[in-house]
Amino acid sequence: MLNYLDILDRAHNGPYISEENWDLEKIAMTTKRLVKKYKIEWNKEELVTDDDALSKAIFDAGYELAVEVGAYSRTTERIIEISQDEIDDGIRNMPQTLVMGEGKDARTLYARHLDDERAPLFFGGSPGTPVPERIFLANVISYMQEPLIDLATCGTLVEVDGREVRTGNPIEIVSTRRELQYMRQGLKRVGRAGMGMLAAQSSVSELGDLAAAHPDYLRKCDSHLVPVLNELKMDHRNISRAVNSLEYGMINASLPCVIVGGLGGGPAGSAVVNVASYLIANLTCLADYHILHPIHVRHIATSTREVLWVINATAQAFARHAPTIIVSDIYPKSGAGTKELLYETAANAIVNAVSGGHLEGCGSADGNLPNCSGLEARLMAEVALASHRMKMSRKEANAFVLQLLPKYEHVFAAENGNPGKPFDEVYDLQKIEPLDFWQKMYEEVKTELKEMGLKL
Amino acid sequence: MTENAYLQAIANAVIDGEAEDAAEATKAALEANVDPLEILNKGLMDGAEEVGKRFERNEYFLPELMLAGRALKGAMEVVKPVLLEKYSGGESKVKGKVVSATVQTDIHDIGKNIVSSMLTAAGFEVTDLGVDVPIKSIIDKAEEIDAKIIALSALLTTSMPFMKDLIKLLEARGIREKYIVLVGGASVTADWAKAIGSDGTARNAADAVKLAREKIGA
Repeated sequence: MLNYLDILDRAHNGPYISEENWDLEKIAMTTKRLVKKYKIEWNKEELVTDDDALSKAIFDAGYELAVEVGAYSRTTERIIEISQDEIDDGIRNMPQTLVMGEGKDARTLYARHLDDERAPLFFGGSPGTPVPERIFLANVISYMQEPLIDLATCGTLVEVDGREVRTGNPIEIVSTRRELQYMRQGLKRVGRAGMGMLAAQSSVSELGDLAAAHPDYLRKCDSHLVPVLNELKMDHRNISRAVNSLEYGMINASLPCVIVGGLGGGPAGSAVVNVASYLIANLTCLADYHILHPIHVRHIATSTREVLWVINATAQAFARHAPTIIVSDIYPKSGAGTKELLYETAANAIVNAVSGGHLEGCGSADGNLPNCSGLEARLMAEVALASHRMKMSRKEANAFVLQLLPKYEHVFAAENGNPGKPFDEVYDLQKIEPLDFWQKMYEEVKTELKEMGLKL
Repeated sequence: MTENAYLQAIANAVIDGEAEDAAEATKAALEANVDPLEILNKGLMDGAEEVGKRFERNEYFLPELMLAGRALKGAMEVVKPVLLEKYSGGESKVKGKVVSATVQTDIHDIGKNIVSSMLTAAGFEVTDLGVDVPIKSIIDKAEEIDAKIIALSALLTTSMPFMKDLIKLLEARGIREKYIVLVGGASVTADWAKAIGSDGTARNAADAVKLAREKIGA
């Protein structure tokens, strides 16, 4: 197994290449060639595929990309070369099970296979969404208290004690620790103190992350993010996050947010880049599990046709050919208090449930506003579990998703999106319950989903 | 070969993102005595405009934009000296200098790259400083090249305050009025852009180009 210090050595001694040439010549050109070589095509009417040959082609192309180009250090402008044997070792060493949390609240994440008998797990929270301090605790409790939620995540604190948080500023240390204090407090309040977390979301640079590696904040049974930069890049700031976990023992979640319409081109190339990202993240991020979060170049949302296809393609490529633990972020365009948010969530949940992912959500309103609540996470879990219980085929899943799309696709053309309302306008902050109008919308959408044939 | 055929060959090279072909086609046009201003406006800029349209129609993605940018740059190196010689201070479509950057502590560059490419395609001369750029360096570069527009990007909410800091620093140095400061990024809203005293924001790259044109009066 590759020693992590070797990664650092290679980042300093590897071949020089300018970032522009990495982007164009290594990523864009190679991906374009591989998409052609493996004849990978996407179909906007077939967002959930059931084609082993296509899945194999996507995996093989991603593998070839990772072996051919390796990774890039943005700090040193050098290529971190990775051999085929090392990529193979990385695949062999991908954890197949992973315990998060402790005591009665511990959960075991597992590498899902296609048509796995075991149900997916659910992370509840709006990952990375800026949330004001005054509603932060109530907001995270709204997810933690949901019985179907297995693991907790959260937004980002953008102010502490009325002061604006700036990345890389000492206040980032305060905000990250404050976030963790609220998280631990919330878990205690709902009687699930041992629940595992994916947190330190307020740590945008490495500062907060380093400051949170302490049993009072992030425990060893919790996880934190180690991003892969677009595309197949690392920098020393993010490498520090992985290094910091080496002896302390936190769980590393790799986070490549492949841009669909970015350097990989359209959905086909983006899926290839996503596969390659995981293969290098096994080594450069010391990943214990992977977050699946492709981003639409214009609309951001994971509920667009293009991103739904990439999610389906990437998760299936691994579920069929190299099972690993994948947790898929749900980032709908719409915000709390809108029916479209619930349709988008349902479409994302179905795609993930049948493609081999666990689920995390929801980053409602593009994860840009605190317009998020535990209620949509409840629906996410209910829909995914229903799909699993029904043993929904991928063909059936596709039919469901195609029925849902016309109910929300108009939001992508709306000038200001469909942001909905902030958390404190959709929940009673004292009782931490949805307000009547929001509860009613949820019930109505559930009824519609049942009428469509979903056994909720 | 007609003049139009020369110009079309240049535009096609830009559209195809072929840097060598764009430079060669430009040389060939100059050798055939095609007016350098026509080469710039009807060959290079028309080609670039078509690239922008294809991106908007989802036919082109980021690599095609970047390749077109390279082709433009290569061809500009060929045509610029001739253009300057013939039309010093002439009526070209080059609309003004822009310094673009993702502000300090933020390392996200895709949105900024797209806007920079689209501005280049629209005829602006863009100096892209990259990501995680200290605000002082951005201002220094704008002063050095006599830019008209400072275009700032930040994806992270907690990096956005540095845009405000840049405007405050321009004010403190007494040079705020020299620049049009445009801000952008997923979390930037029109209200916020106004509140920090910027000159505007746009929802996407195409609107950013429109805004830049409008502000500069081009």
